[in-house]
Amino acid sequence: MEILVLVKPVPDPETRLRPNAAGTGLDTEGVKWVLAGYDESAVEQALLLKEAIAGSHVRAVAFGPAPRTEEILRSALALGCDAATWAEASGEQALDPLLAAQALAQACSTGPVELVLVGKQALDDEAGLVGPAVAERLGIADYGPVVDLRWDVSAGQFTFARAIEGGLERMTAPAPMLVCLQQAWNDPRTAKLQNVLKARRTAIDRAPALSAPSAPEAAASSARISGFRLPPPRTGAKMIEYKTPQEAAEKLVRLLRDEAKTLP
Amino acid sequence: MSGPVLVVVERRGRDPVRSSLEAIGAARNLAGGTGLVAVLLGSDLEPAARIVASLGASKVITVPDRRFDTFHAALWAGAVVSMAQELLVSTIVVAGTTNGRQLTGRLAARWGAAAVSGVTEIASTPEGVLVALRPIFSGRAIQEVRLEGPRRVVGLRPNAFPEPDASGPVGTVEEHPVPELGSTPALGQRIAFEGAAAGAGPDLAEATVIVSGGRGLKAPENFRLLEELAASLGGAVGASRAVTDSGWKPTSYQIGQTGRTVSPQLYIAVGISGAIQHLVGMISSRTIVAINSDPNAPIFKVADYGVVGDLFQIVPALTAEIRKVRGI
Ligand SMILES: Cc1cc2nc3c(=O)[nH]c(=O)nc-3n(C[C@H](O)[C@H](O)[C@H](O)COP(=O)(O)OP(=O)(O)OC[C@H]3O[C@@H](n4cnc5c(N)ncnc54)[C@H](O)[C@@H]3O)c2cc1C
Repeated sequence: MEILVLVKPVPDPETRLRPNAAGTGLDTEGVKWVLAGYDESAVEQALLLKEAIAGSHVRAVAFGPAPRTEEILRSALALGCDAATWAEASGEQALDPLLAAQALAQACSTGPVELVLVGKQALDDEAGLVGPAVAERLGIADYGPVVDLRWDVSAGQFTFARAIEGGLERMTAPAPMLVCLQQAWNDPRTAKLQNVLKARRTAIDRAPALSAPSAPEAAASSARISGFRLPPPRTGAKMIEYKTPQEAAEKLVRLLRDEAKTLP
Repeated sequence: MSGPVLVVVERRGRDPVRSSLEAIGAARNLAGGTGLVAVLLGSDLEPAARIVASLGASKVITVPDRRFDTFHAALWAGAVVSMAQELLVSTIVVAGTTNGRQLTGRLAARWGAAAVSGVTEIASTPEGVLVALRPIFSGRAIQEVRLEGPRRVVGLRPNAFPEPDASGPVGTVEEHPVPELGSTPALGQRIAFEGAAAGAGPDLAEATVIVSGGRGLKAPENFRLLEELAASLGGAVGASRAVTDSGWKPTSYQIGQTGRTVSPQLYIAVGISGAIQHLVGMISSRTIVAINSDPNAPIFKVADYGVVGDLFQIVPALTAEIRKVRGI
């Protein structure tokens, strides 16, 4: 089986966030870009399936600018992906989830599409738009947020669960399909040094340039990011002084009701 | 803005889900005089349609077909885009449920629209440009997005918009034949649903109040204290990873980096130290209360109100006080 896994470089979760000069985005000066969060779970899931399905092959696919996109594809290779495809874009283009979906779908369809894995959302913009939009462009079904994905050899179909409100929806589905993965209920592996070195020498395939959308198409689908700011800092809790637990409870309830106004 | 605003309404059982009602509330403000259309898909839609019609939708369209009873993004997107084209809709508003989040990107790609998801505030400028705010980076930053084109899809965050009240005129309910779905891909099948225990209260994603417990609870049976507090507030119970790793509660309770992300009106952290991996999952909550015996616990840095003390004394007193003021 050909397994495609879509990954995106995101700022290291420890990054101290600062707005850029224009106040429209993150100041990326000195930011370390990593493969993280749901994408890491997606790669882990791809590798688990590869180990379980004889003769399968995992290709990581990413959209974004040099050098960070190439670097996270190398991280994916070091973890055990067999091949990688890079759809190059400018830093500006990389901010547009629907453009990313168009490019990624185009990059995926250069070969057979059986299973596409993607994190349910990226750790940075948390948009969650890319996976379902790629599925639409590929004309295949999409499911998410998914946990516990397996291939049932005898039935020739996938089994998985959607982690939805109130419980788990168990499903079966045929290939081809796209799956948006929930958090790491799997514990993502780390790369072995020898594989990191090997990944440095692996050739990364380049996706054909994105065919430019027509002007009305581009205008219709444009969402413009016009602001990026930090929320007011939390200044520390108002501490409740009390002599008895009852007094603490009374004071807290009064504050929640009259000041915070969040007591139902 | 030219055409009407369309809201996709989801149900649980026969009732519209709360997040969908919030979507009606948000869409009502955006629609102004252009009309607000709600769409319901599936079987036995009448009861939910009546509720939605009383909450400000000028028109409620029901598309009765059992194929929609299981959520398939591909199928739903096909139907919703068909309706949007037929009704010359300008904006589709989608609730921030797990289904809604799966639908938003698919709708946008199919309709050739601009899209924004996870929205907590939205307004229309006099020129008809939609300006949306959305928390990103686990609530550590806020992004502003402008949608200027003729077609836009707006996905909301749960708990960010008030439920509409039933004042104003009641809309019409119309049954619509299943629209042209276009080519649909091979779809999967729902084979079972493993629900959380009955009577467990609202789901974490939708709860307006979450009472969350950590290692400070000391034993699984002590979660009864939190369940009682949550029940007094009509809320849900969550947990830190220390709790789920110990097997005191299933993984589905876990809040944080490797668990769920929640943003209730009120989050009460009990016996939770406030590790960064926990904070990222709850930091966008409106009001945060911390109850912890350690005055230096990091949770107090992000909380709005703090009580330093023994949870085994504070929590029962708090439950009693809330029952008293809420008259239950
Ligand atoms: C990669 C990674 C991912 C992680 N993901 C998550 C995640 O998703 N969610 C998550 O929660 N954690 C996560 N963690 C774990 C996280 O780092 C913390 O270890 C965890 O959150 C601690 O849980 P806790 O606060 O319940 O326990 P502790 O840190 O042990 O805190 C217990 C608290 O209870 C207080 N206490 C004790 N007795 C009482 C009493 N009688 N009355 C009042 N207070 C009392 C103590 O003062 C203490 O502050 C992750 C860690 C890693 C490395």
